[in-house]
This record gives sequence, structure tokens and C-alpha cells, in this order.
Amino acid sequence: MIKKAHLTQWLDRVAQGYDLFGPVLDGVVQFERVNSSDQLVFDYANSVVPPKNLFLPQTECLFAFRREEGSIILEPRGGLERERVLFGIRPCDARSLLLLDEVFNSDLEDTYYQEKRRGTILIGLACPSPPQRTCFCTSLGIDPLSPEGVDVLLTDLGDRYLVEVTTEKGEELVGLSQELFFPSAEGEKLKGEKGKSLEEVGEKIGSLWEDGYWRELSRRCLGCGVCTYLCPTCHCFDLTDVGSTLSGKRFRCWDSCMFADFTRMAGGVNPRPTGKERVRQRYFDKFSYFPEQYGVLGCVGCGRCSQYCPMGIDIRTIINEVIARGAK
Amino acid sequence: MASDDDPTILVFACNWCSYAGADLAGVSRLEMPPHCRVVRVMCSARVRPEFVIAALSRGLDGVVVLGCHPGDCHYSEGNYYTRRRALLLKELLEHVGIEPERFQLRWISASEGAKFAQTITEITGEIKALDGRREPPPEG
Amino acid sequence: MEQELREIVRKLLEEGAIEYFIGYAEGFEPLHTTPCFIERGEQVQALVWSPLCPYNLARYLHQMKNGAGKVGLVVKGCDARAIVELVKGNQIQRERVVVVGIPCQGQVDLAKLEDAFEGVEAVEGKGDTFLVTVGEKVHSVEKERLLREKCFSCRHPISFEYDFVLGEMSPLVYGSESEFAMVEELERLPVEERRAFWRAQFERCIRCYACRDICYACYCQECIFESKAPRWLEKTTTPLDNQTYHLIRAWHMVGRCIDCGECERVCPVGIPLRRLYKKVEKEVEQLFDYRAGMRVEDLPPLVTFAAEEPALSSRQDRSER
Repeated sequence: MIKKAHLTQWLDRVAQGYDLFGPVLDGVVQFERVNSSDQLVFDYANSVVPPKNLFLPQTECLFAFRREEGSIILEPRGGLERERVLFGIRPCDARSLLLLDEVFNSDLEDTYYQEKRRGTILIGLACPSPPQRTCFCTSLGIDPLSPEGVDVLLTDLGDRYLVEVTTEKGEELVGLSQELFFPSAEGEKLKGEKGKSLEEVGEKIGSLWEDGYWRELSRRCLGCGVCTYLCPTCHCFDLTDVGSTLSGKRFRCWDSCMFADFTRMAGGVNPRPTGKERVRQRYFDKFSYFPEQYGVLGCVGCGRCSQYCPMGIDIRTIINEVIARGAK
Repeated sequence: MASDDDPTILVFACNWCSYAGADLAGVSRLEMPPHCRVVRVMCSARVRPEFVIAALSRGLDGVVVLGCHPGDCHYSEGNYYTRRRALLLKELLEHVGIEPERFQLRWISASEGAKFAQTITEITGEIKALDGRREPPPEG
Repeated sequence: MEQELREIVRKLLEEGAIEYFIGYAEGFEPLHTTPCFIERGEQVQALVWSPLCPYNLARYLHQMKNGAGKVGLVVKGCDARAIVELVKGNQIQRERVVVVGIPCQGQVDLAKLEDAFEGVEAVEGKGDTFLVTVGEKVHSVEKERLLREKCFSCRHPISFEYDFVLGEMSPLVYGSESEFAMVEELERLPVEERRAFWRAQFERCIRCYACRDICYACYCQECIFESKAPRWLEKTTTPLDNQTYHLIRAWHMVGRCIDCGECERVCPVGIPLRRLYKKVEKEVEQLFDYRAGMRVEDLPPLVTFAAEEPALSSRQDRSER
């Protein structure tokens, strides 16, 4: 356990030895690098942009290149200067990182992602109750009080936090200020409530490829990138060279399957020509392709897409519709 | 007289008046700061405001649009459109914090070689007087 | 009023006067409405109307470009200007659109409402107040406390472009704030402070393009930002790239922005976009005496000129010599 009043003291100690990231109010709540704990906010539901951008930045330079005397010289970029600590990640987002690990460490290891992932210690913050109205992680079998995927989990118990340390790295962090921590009494761990399970969406969606629902849905959808960019598990990117043929940089930038040019080919042909195909792609990816490849639904129920959709499209409504319409 | 501190200025000059004016300045061997890059366009109205925005966002220190004097446009009315656009664009740029000196519209006829040289000298000086240069395009 | 709306729509559909109707329906919870497309008479029960209907439904008229039939939709006063502009821009034919004008009582800012009350079930506008229903209780709240920012300077609460109009035509003006006050506030800052202000805003932008995609005026077949050759904008999201994006977009709003405020509403990272587009609107109004979306006959400011422009000449010394 740690007293609430002592939390900032501990985080300041952490910030001395590590690059500390946490929730700050920068227009909206975002995970950003901080120098001291007074930049952090503690009463937040979740960040707008998920913490995936610390591991798969929206814009990331992979290397610089230049031509010199007939050869091409590459200068690698990326890499962390210091080990990082991310404070305040929610259990749904922690779970999303485990899903992204599958993607970026499948056949080939994505070194840019893995380097940041390995070099970051996660201090999770169990979710406050009641949850946001768009939250539905419990319907996907995720516990908003679970330490899964984090090194240390803090659970708010009024004037103190319950501290669960699950890894050696977590021990190291706690060890920095051992004097602030004290043992907990038995049975203080809270249990998360389970919501109505929506997990059968994965079994049902396959039968709905030709269903009229996707067209219906796409009429409302504007095709912007809000749902994908704010999704903690969406991870599509595009590579782009900036500069000239003599010198420049190669960047990797987020991309979105909701954009028309995501699948448009050089000749102008687009295999997903209308909103219908693009909307369908997003949900098939989450509930069909992802489980097929990695054995788990590609959604963690954070609710950001529902909360920020410009047109009020709600993923839970879609899931329920799929369950109602689909056959096993 | 060239120095690396001189700001880089992109000049759009209309084919019929201002480019000829620039040419005249050249053949007359008039002195002026060398850090300007002249792009010849058929008419000042050819300059889409997006050109200006893109240039300033890519690290150029200033953009100057040169056209025929009002009433003298080779296409009768191109520069009247330019006049409206330029004023609006300047207001917009200023609103987000890009100093008005960095985008200017001037009228220069084919016979005004001296005015061309003077304009470039003047604007270079004005931009130089601003705090610092435009930030360069970002590093990765 | 909802019932009246439903009856009109039912009649239009049953008579075959329109192919479908675009309106508001309840979303995943009472406070979140969502646009809906009504195709058959029996679906009209889904239609709702309340001060929680922010969407500018004219945006969906882009979809009718390739069709032949008629489409109906409900519009607030602010949205009506979009219809005029779309007609002016040859994007739709007025005779193919059936406009149901609705007197708007002002729109509620959801964030303000959620700060003030928990568990709200319904909101209704009445005179100078909003009636907020929470459980069994109905709270009467001064409008000023809950209104969306843009409604404070609303000049057109009732659609002036309509085929049907619901309710009473009583113009409402909220507050006395000038509609450009927030722009003027920025204008008073020194240029470097403005730069810092916008820099911090643009830095947050994630370029999801929601502000573009929700804009009724963004109907280009190929958006300049998607053009590969020439390539105006890279996918990289550096502050300068983002600035390019927002400046070009603001430029494209010249003579088009009707201040429906949808861009600012949907921005997930809270960029105050109205402070950018309102600047453009202000200059267009003051320099060229032009206001978008008022009359189809009005010529947009940049496709016309006068040999002598007195309004410009006062500032000419700044722009031309």
C-alpha cells in the first residue's frame, strides 16, 4: 500500500532515474513526458489518444538516407535514450499493448516497436467506479481492476492505493522509495464486475459479409480517422519518404482503413471503393481477422470510438446488431 | 555582400511585367540581396495561396508575389483577383502568428527594374529585422 | 413538435415525394442523438428533436449527388446556410431537396451539461431556459449556462430556407456577445503570442480529418490533402505539417464557412477551430461585405472584383505598393 499523499513523492523519485510519462492536461488529457509529478493529473477517466502512440508514434522517423559518391548512406533513427516509465495506463489499454505485441512480434520482430516496449515500465491505475458511459471492457472479459500487462498496478482505496507488483521491474520501481510503501491488510483487493458478455460477436460476424447493415452504417459514417486513430489496438501505418532522391528521411505514420486512399492503388483502382467496404473492414478486422490470427478479439472495450465518433456511431450498438443478425 | 544570415525569399513574378522588371534589374547590374529565388508565373493570379502557405511551412523566410500594376494586367483582370486574395491571406497568416512582412504583394512593371531591386532589398531587410529565422523543417 | 415532424415525413414518404429523409434519432443513450436515414413511413417514430441535435445534416446531401430522386432533411437555422451554399456551388439542385425548417431553441453543450448534472434523461428548450429532466425532477436552467458557444451569437435560429416549417417563427438572440469577439481577443495579442497559441493547438492535431470530413463545404472529389502529385502535404504530423493543413483548410473556408461549428465540436483533441475559421469569416464580411449561405445569387468574394475597392484601400498600404 502507499498513501495517496506519498504518490507524487514516489513518482518524483522515479522521474529522476527514468523518463516519466503520464496523464497531463494539454487541451485534453494525453500521455506525455513530464519532468515532475505536479504536471500530472489524477482525476481523469482516460486519455483521448491511447498510449499506443508511445510505442507506435503517429510519426516516427525510421532512418535518414543520403547519396554520397555513388553509394547510399543510411543513418538509423529511433531508440530510447533512457528507460521510460508510463504512469497511469488503464487496464484496457494495458491489454491493448499485449495485443499489439502479438502484431509487432509475430513472424518478424518490429525492432522500433519492441525497443520502446521493452524499455518502458508500466504503472497501471485501476479504473474508477462508475466507469465512463462508453466503457465496456467487462463485456469483453477484461477486468478494469486487473494488473494484467502492467508491472505495477495501483487501485484507489480512498486515502491510499493498493499496490500490486507483478514483475521484477515493478519491484525495482517500488524499491526506489521502499520507505513509502507498507503492507496491506488481507482481502482489500476489489473485484471488478462482469458485464453482459459480447464475446460471441466473433463467432457471428463471419456470416454477415453481404449483410445490408454495413451499407446502412456507412451512410452515417463520414470516413474520418477518429475511431482508428483513437483505437488502442488499431496499428496500421504507411511509409513515406520526405526529402529528395539525394537525401531525406523515411517516416512511418499512422494510417486508417477508413480513409479512401488507404487501399487506393497507383492506377486508381480501389478494392474498397465505398464507405460500405471500409466500415465493414474495420469491424471484420476487430472481430474476425484479429481473432483468426491471434486467437483473441481485437477490441478492448475502451469506448473511445463511441465517445468521439463525430456522428455518434456506437461500437456496442454495432456489436449487438451483429450478434442479433449473425448466424454461428 | 551575400551572407548566410540573409533570409531566403521566394518571389513569384508575373511573366509580362514583373519578370521583365526583374530581368531589367539584372541586365542593369543593380545590386540586391542574392538570397531570393524567382519563379516565373504567367500571371500573379496563378499563385495559389496554397503555394504561399506551403512555402512558409517548409521553412522559407518570406514569399513575395509580384504582378502588373492594377489596370495593366496582360489578361485584363488577373491582378484584381490577386489583390483580394492577398489581403485575405495576409490576414489569415497574421492570425496564426506569421508576421505580415513574410508575405507581400507588390506591383512591378516591365520598366521598373530599379523598383524590383529596391523591393527585394527592402523586404529582405524587413524580414531580417524580425526575431530569428523561420524554423527549418523538422528533424526526424 | 416531434409528432408534427414525424407526420410530415410520413406523408412525404408515403406520397413518394422523397426517397428518404435525413433526421435525428436517439443514439446509444438519451444525450447522444445520431443522424438517421428514414426510408419507410413506419420508421418515422425514430425521429427526435431536442437541443441535443448538433449535427449539420446538410453534410449528408453530398451523398445525393449521383442519384436522381428527392431527399428530405431537417435543418436548424445555422444549417440552412449550408443548403444555400451547396446550391450555389452546384452540388445539389434545390428542387431535389425538401427542407423542413425547425426553430432552434439553442443547442446544448454536452460537456457543460455533464458538468452540471448527472443522469440527465431529457433536455427541452423553453424561452430563456432549458428544462433538464433528471429522474423524477425537472430543473429549469438559464440557457446561458448550457448553450454551445456558437449559439451565443446566433443570428438565424430559424431556417430561412425551407419548404415546411415547424413551430413558431420567433427569432431568438442569445446574449449580446459579438460573434467575432473571440477572434478579436486573439487579434489583440502580439504576433508571437498568437504564434505560440496556435502552435500549441496545431501540435496536438492528430490529423484524423474529422474537421474536414464533417464539413458540409468539403465536397471536392479529390481533396488537396490526398493528392499524390503534386503532394501538398506529407502524412507526417509535425507542427509545421499540421499548420499547413489547418491554414490550407482555413483558406478553403473563405466565403464558405457558415459557422455551424461542427468542426470544433468533433475535434477529439479540442482544437478551437472556430477561432480560425471565424477570422476568415470576419475578414470576408468586413472587406467584401459577403456572408456565406444567405442568398443563392450572391457572388462568392474571390470570383469577383472591382477596379476600385474602397474597402481594401484602407489596408492597401499593408498589402501592395
